[in-house]
Amino acid sequence: MEEQRYVVFLFPSVSYALKAEKILKVAGIAHKLIPVPRDISSDCGVCVRITEDKQQDVERELLGKVGWDKVLLL
Amino acid sequence: MPETIDARGLACPQPVIMAKKAIEENEQITVLVDNDMAVENIRRLALKMACGFSVTEKEGGIREIVLVRTGATSQTPIDSEAIAAEMSCAVVAGKETGPLVVILSDNHMGRGDDVLGDILIRSFVHTLLQLKPLPDTVICYNSGVKLVVKDSAVLDDLQQLAKDGVDILVCGTCVNYFEIGDQVAAGHISNMYDIAETMAGAGRLLRP
Repeated sequence: MEEQRYVVFLFPSVSYALKAEKILKVAGIAHKLIPVPRDISSDCGVCVRITEDKQQDVERELLGKVGWDKVLLL
Repeated sequence: MPETIDARGLACPQPVIMAKKAIEENEQITVLVDNDMAVENIRRLALKMACGFSVTEKEGGIREIVLVRTGATSQTPIDSEAIAAEMSCAVVAGKETGPLVVILSDNHMGRGDDVLGDILIRSFVHTLLQLKPLPDTVICYNSGVKLVVKDSAVLDDLQQLAKDGVDILVCGTCVNYFEIGDQVAAGHISNMYDIAETMAGAGRLLRP
């Protein structure tokens, strides 16, 4: 089985991540709030993880509603 | 001929104490160890003493560490107790005395703000998967049982933990109280005897 590839959306603050999560919940896009991986940041932050194929859907949903800093491949 | 220290099979803090003694008497030493804790402790020793450090994986889980003294290397008296306290020996000692048990007694982490507490507990449970070694047991009681139900945001993490061999005990009384018995999707329903015995037999209890 091929390993699932994920991307994470990084936000300027926890409240942005929460807002994004609410939007994704309403949009029915599977996602997971996880701690920002250690190799990306040493801050105690959270980010939104989605499967790689959902990246464009997520960007479309969030655009104009909540800004994000970066999208990184895990 | 560089000095070789065989610290295989020795418990923390022995390897790091032997390494410290040897590097103070030699320009370069080779240390053989067989566990990650010893590698990490010697790495920290090297950092503290400004020694060159390199580690090579050998067969059978043996690691060969080479320490090279640099000009700046300081010589301080060997204080075994101080080294033991400074290095992670307490953690190792704890591991040897009994299992690591994680207590999820709430579906939030910390007190003060439940929205934040929700984010924190989700991060915490997800991070448990990356602990090395993994916890032996996770016990869920009171509102902590809400973490193992179908719509829980950490259900997949707890299911993965269970798959990786972590025993997840779910308080039956609590599940009954919240009337979520039909929604439990990870771990197994347990009782206060098992819960109390598991806690009493733990080497360490971790409660977020």
